[in-house]
Amino acid sequence: MEAVKTQDISVNDLSWKIEYHADRCTMCGSCVAACSFKAIKVETQAQSIVVSTDSQPNPEHRHIARPIIKQKASLTEYCRGCGMCEKVCPNNAIRPVRNPNSRQVLLSKDNGPIKRGGRTNLNAQRTLDSIVVGRISQMTDPSLDAARHTFDIRAPFGRVLSPKELPLHLENGKMKMDHKVPPVNWIYPLIFSDMSIGALSTRAWEAVALACAYLNEKCGLPVRMSSGEGGMPVKLMESDYLKYFILQIASGHFGWNRIVKAIPHMVTDPAGVLIKIGQGAKPGDGGLLPAAKVAEHVQAIRGVPKATLSSPPNHQGLYSIEESVQKMHLSLNAAFGFRVPVAIKCAASSTSVSVYNNLLRDPYKICGGFFLDGIQGGTGAANEVSLDHTGHPVVSKIRDCYQAAVKQGLQGQIPLYGGGGIGMTGNAAADAFKMICLGANGVFVGKVLIQLLGCVGNEMGRCNSCNTGKCPMGICTQDPRLVKRLDIDRGAQKIVDYVLAFDAELKKLMAPIGNSSLPVGRSDALVSTDKAIADKLGIQYVC
Amino acid sequence: MFKIETMNGHERMSTQDLLLAIEDAVRSGETEFEIAASGQHDIGGPLWNPDGKKLVFHVTNAGQRVGSMCLPNTEIIVDGATSADVGWLNAGGIITVKGDAGDTAGHCSAGGKIFIGGRAGTRSGSLMKHDPLYEEPELWILKNTGSFSFEFMGGGRAVVCGYDSAEFSSVLGERACVGMVGGIVYVRGPVAGYPKDIKCLALDQDDIDFLAGGMDEFLSRIDRIELKQELSDWTQWKKLRPLTFEEKNAQPNHTMSIKDFRQQEWVKGGIFSDVAMDDFAVHNTISTGLYRLRVPSWDNGKYAAPCEFSCPTGIPTQLRYDLIRKGKLEEALDLELQYTPFPGSVCGSVCPNPCMDGCTRGSIDEAIQIGQLGFLSALREVEPPTESTGKKIGIIGGGVAGLSAAWQLARKGHTVTVYDDADRIGGKLEQVIPRGRLPHELLESELKRIESVGVKFVTSYKVDKPRFRDIRRDNDAVIVATGGHESRFFNWEGKELLTMGLDFLKKVNRGENPKVGKRVVVIGCGNSGMDTCRAAFDMGAVSVVAVDVQKPAAFADEIEYVESRGGQLVWPFFTEKITPEGIYSNDGRFIAADEVIVSIGEAPILDYLPDDADIKKFRDSWLIPNAKDRSILKGVFVAGDVVKPGRLTDAIGDGRKAAFYVDQYVMGREYEPFQEKEKIPAERLSKAYFTKCHHCELGSPQDDHVRCVSCGTCRDCKMCLESCPEKAITRIENEDGSWSYVSDPNRCIGCGICAGVCPCGVWSINDNPEPIKMYRTYNKN
Repeated sequence: MEAVKTQDISVNDLSWKIEYHADRCTMCGSCVAACSFKAIKVETQAQSIVVSTDSQPNPEHRHIARPIIKQKASLTEYCRGCGMCEKVCPNNAIRPVRNPNSRQVLLSKDNGPIKRGGRTNLNAQRTLDSIVVGRISQMTDPSLDAARHTFDIRAPFGRVLSPKELPLHLENGKMKMDHKVPPVNWIYPLIFSDMSIGALSTRAWEAVALACAYLNEKCGLPVRMSSGEGGMPVKLMESDYLKYFILQIASGHFGWNRIVKAIPHMVTDPAGVLIKIGQGAKPGDGGLLPAAKVAEHVQAIRGVPKATLSSPPNHQGLYSIEESVQKMHLSLNAAFGFRVPVAIKCAASSTSVSVYNNLLRDPYKICGGFFLDGIQGGTGAANEVSLDHTGHPVVSKIRDCYQAAVKQGLQGQIPLYGGGGIGMTGNAAADAFKMICLGANGVFVGKVLIQLLGCVGNEMGRCNSCNTGKCPMGICTQDPRLVKRLDIDRGAQKIVDYVLAFDAELKKLMAPIGNSSLPVGRSDALVSTDKAIADKLGIQYVC
Repeated sequence: MFKIETMNGHERMSTQDLLLAIEDAVRSGETEFEIAASGQHDIGGPLWNPDGKKLVFHVTNAGQRVGSMCLPNTEIIVDGATSADVGWLNAGGIITVKGDAGDTAGHCSAGGKIFIGGRAGTRSGSLMKHDPLYEEPELWILKNTGSFSFEFMGGGRAVVCGYDSAEFSSVLGERACVGMVGGIVYVRGPVAGYPKDIKCLALDQDDIDFLAGGMDEFLSRIDRIELKQELSDWTQWKKLRPLTFEEKNAQPNHTMSIKDFRQQEWVKGGIFSDVAMDDFAVHNTISTGLYRLRVPSWDNGKYAAPCEFSCPTGIPTQLRYDLIRKGKLEEALDLELQYTPFPGSVCGSVCPNPCMDGCTRGSIDEAIQIGQLGFLSALREVEPPTESTGKKIGIIGGGVAGLSAAWQLARKGHTVTVYDDADRIGGKLEQVIPRGRLPHELLESELKRIESVGVKFVTSYKVDKPRFRDIRRDNDAVIVATGGHESRFFNWEGKELLTMGLDFLKKVNRGENPKVGKRVVVIGCGNSGMDTCRAAFDMGAVSVVAVDVQKPAAFADEIEYVESRGGQLVWPFFTEKITPEGIYSNDGRFIAADEVIVSIGEAPILDYLPDDADIKKFRDSWLIPNAKDRSILKGVFVAGDVVKPGRLTDAIGDGRKAAFYVDQYVMGREYEPFQEKEKIPAERLSKAYFTKCHHCELGSPQDDHVRCVSCGTCRDCKMCLESCPEKAITRIENEDGSWSYVSDPNRCIGCGICAGVCPCGVWSINDNPEPIKMYRTYNKN
């Protein structure tokens, strides 16, 4: 007789159930040794049965006690569905299975709101998936050969002046510039975005950085990476590779002491500065780095003791758009001698167009880019209520901003970058292409990169344990025992290969619509099978 | 000869009319054609003579696609230049263009030969193929081609002679041979910008034979035979061919690996080398040693078994059964005497055995028979200590608390004297517990055993203030253990009518046979209340009713006994007043009684203690000792009911504890607290090994070693040793016969199977506590 109360937690209350086949299990211990969440344990189980093997009832008692692997029925040490057990099992004896009857979310609020990493799990439906590239050049104009044509796949990062505004005059038959113009870097339209040192392990962050440098140096793709809000490695800042990196400043201003101190030692300028105002995964909320991940190097780079680090929801010195332009943009432009473009990143919101209009009207022409992050953006840690119930799809907002600029004849002057769920359904190139056709100059990706490193998290509640510091892949953790599981070279290679394929795929989409350069705003190339989406975006509805 | 002029003044014949006219002529047997074209397309094919005769076309001023889909046995000679797509889809014709050809010359040709006496335009030779059923197609060009030549070429041979092309940096234009998968392009002159999957090679003999063999025909057809020598210096030639499928697969990847890039070009040591020490070695998901996520720990004896934990005396029964399991029954029986001098009187007789309530086995079938096991130690004798410490300890009170302390201290070699005001030693065991519950001979033998280790009993010695002073002066330490002797009652009306329960019981045990009324009410349904009821019946009461304000606290079998003799328990019953007729409750109930005995506990009588402000009391009755060492004054310690009313086992445990501190005190040792282990968490135990035992199969208590789980203490079953998948566990036997199990960190993967299979909960699996120094604040190097 077991002493079980009806309100005790059972494994059927949890989001994942361990499917275990004792008949296949060799008791090698791999699954329990590998599980970083301590969700499974070894237990001795008894079978005490009475059998009869005679020709008439002849009871014979059999008692077998044997070890088995058992899922813990716990709301603290629970299965996240990461599948490491399945991965290491030599006999396919164990795997996590999603439990449709889960009551876990309901029951897990004993210690306040649920926190987790990953993306929204409720609003995972994407606008981009009901848009297709529908205008294929054929008889009207020949499509290009994607494999052989020379494409110009570059996007501006920086404030682009209209030709009329260029301060040029002729002097002795030569063109002269009257004064300095805002800096513009022409970069690949795919930015590795905003995952902080701290959120990522040193190895994961370096793998992404390494892939970024390799793509530039060996593949000729001017991909840029944004540091995220946890500062920058000093060694990187003192190297020539800094030119591929965008420094981020967010409301916590973490890491800027070492950045400022490194300025005199920089041998090259960074690619840009990105002011993070908000992010799509948790708009209106600041960064969150749980104490479990605030290891010594993170404490050092950020200048804080071991503690859970919450960035404020706002930059504390900013009270208006105008002020943000004046203060943040000016100061950060000034820090690098007005040679480095400074852009701003906000969570997509119903007010995004107003912000963009304000930036466009800025007489100092100081804003070098507007990054909009949609509801499907990822995060290393957030309140689940923010992840699942706040945010704004990015697609229509990019479109609205672009059209607002077009109406004023200012399109292209402040480059638009869209992110949040790019590549979520597998093809970032298609997503990028569609976003560009709708008016973006480029896109930024984060989650996809760590997924390439090995992250198994997804929008159906798998893993998403980045906040625990127990990432089984060694990506979102600072625990050396887990960090050292990650193969930095293999991870970086995976990103490089993905981006090379992205490049080829982007060409495969540019070629049929006959564009040699990025089809910014070429919404005629797109059609939608969803009437409402077609109407909202101003593209053809097809069925 | 079919001659046709396609211009009639300003009237031009349409392509359709011309082609139909040619077709008619072919059908009517014409084989030679002179066509003065005016830009008409598709002249020359697909046509054939029904008799298989050769068709020859002389064409001037042709339009596009001359010789398109040309069949074998057709020969086309174009004087001067022609437009685009000459020989498109040529399937076997010999097509000669004496001047320049337009774009896409030879496009998709898969048979025949095309000779061009001038230049060819862009994409010439693109998509040429070779059907293995037929001869391969040839495309000869005297001068050069435009860009994108030979794109997607899949077969055949093309010859670009590079004559009169000095002005071009590439005789094949830009980006030749893109997407080319088959065939050969022979070139004389510079070639720039062909893809990586195309090989540029010197000619071999087969190539020379082909070129030498075809050059005459080519030059004579385009009327340039004089160039033969100039074009026949084979050292000036090379050929382009695509890598074969096999070659492509075998091609080494020349791109730099990420690892090489990181090690050779990236920031030395990695970008975090100032703050993170990392060799970038990739660890297996499952590690041994330092990098295991978890490590096992053999926590033998770390936790108290539930029996030990639940026993206020603290007797570790699991150790007794482990000894029995090893065949050491006598050692096991003696072990109990290390904890209590009353295994027979208390453990085996009057103790409610809370040990058995906690017993893990009780959750399988029935608790281990611990009380009865205790009884087996009742008659064991022990040797007196061999050495004396010379320290003297005076114990005031000869009850279980005092005697427990005396027993412990005497066995350590101290000189112990126990003072008691009664004429017999033994406290409540002697004075109060009904003899029916505890045979007097048993008690006496256990008291003798206490004396046998050197404890001196001084009876009929009532300690008062001066005597206390003397005892304190004459001893190194004193223990106050006089228990509770003043019956408690409340300020009820008629309280003067009450009989004091304790006095009553004492009289009974002294054999005074006190008189009782016929109808007795006992206030208090605890164990002493039941003892009182039992004694009242023994002394001649006809009816006994016990009342209590709450659910009776006495043990079930005591209640059962009283009820079996006709006793009745009434509760809740709040006494209002006592009259000569009986007792009233506050809700007006009345129980008739000739005598009301109160038995709701006793308070200590401590009038012999000095008037010292340092002595703290609870409710002015019970002593509050220093929590650290159970003392009330320097060298004066306390034990038992003078602190808090408790069971006999509580008093024995308390005596042990006081003795521990007294020993420490008199020996002048550094302070350490009395060790009390945590109870083993039930989930650490594996009960699955044990089959349920039918009640009637219970054996004698010493046989219960087969049923004892051995909670928290290794039973040496070797389940761990056999189950460890990495064979990391070793059993080490020590010289004294004890053993330990150790896990080799270099083999152990931290799976925790040892913890999962250990029946006793000795193995546990915990987060690897060993820190890994990976991060730091800054390091310049």
